[in-house]
Amino acid sequence: MASGLTAELRLPAHPTELGVAREFVERACVDFGLDADAAFDFVLAANEAVTNAIRHGRADDDGQILLVTLADGERLTLVVRDYGVFVMPPLESPPRLEGGRGMAMMRSLTDDFELLIDALGTTVRLSKDRR
Amino acid sequence: MSLFYIVDEPTEEGDGDLALLLADGELDYAAAPQLKERIAAHLNASHRHVVLDLTAVSFIDSTAIGVIVGALHRLRESGDGSLAIVCERENKRVLRIFDIAGLNSLLDIYDTREEALSALAATG
Repeated sequence: MASGLTAELRLPAHPTELGVAREFVERACVDFGLDADAAFDFVLAANEAVTNAIRHGRADDDGQILLVTLADGERLTLVVRDYGVFVMPPLESPPRLEGGRGMAMMRSLTDDFELLIDALGTTVRLSKDRR
Repeated sequence: MSLFYIVDEPTEEGDGDLALLLADGELDYAAAPQLKERIAAHLNASHRHVVLDLTAVSFIDSTAIGVIVGALHRLRESGDGSLAIVCERENKRVLRIFDIAGLNSLLDIYDTREEALSALAATG
């Protein structure tokens, strides 16, 4: 996959769509040429990000959130965009019993992780490098 | 669409104190409420021991894991309850996810139902 190639998915912000989101990211991993273990980790991290957007974020007027995959040389990036303001769960040790674990998982599963909040919504960027 | 199911399995083990749950498919945020409900039904019926068979599960996320950990704590706090996970060692995906979530030391994970039930019988 050459640099800059992108794929875009407007996803209904509903939990039953998470399987579609995972397949979208898995396809991007295959097209990019990530090895199976890296792809597994990246899909897991992507699932966490999309789950947060559906669970805590806000959809657009069509009830959708946006997923974009970007390939840039040795790095595959997933951008997840929703239209609500992200609320950071408090960092605790040990993590809250029924929550708070997803953030730590995303950081450990990716080579780069960014959370950007602007006036219109929240953007999460996850990246995985080719080994 | 996320595809999963979670069902009660009949069991004669444990003198009526044991709940055996079988899950299949992808346990993500779409599945977590049903998982929570199924387990809660057993906790409310005062089943002290829950065995959750995840061998046929292909994917599990932090929301489903959170349900499992929450149930484990509730069982332990209510007395000498326990929660055991069955996940055969060939299911490397789910085992890896538990590992990534840092739960291998917290959860009792067994290769087969027989092992999980034997371990339970041994503790009485």
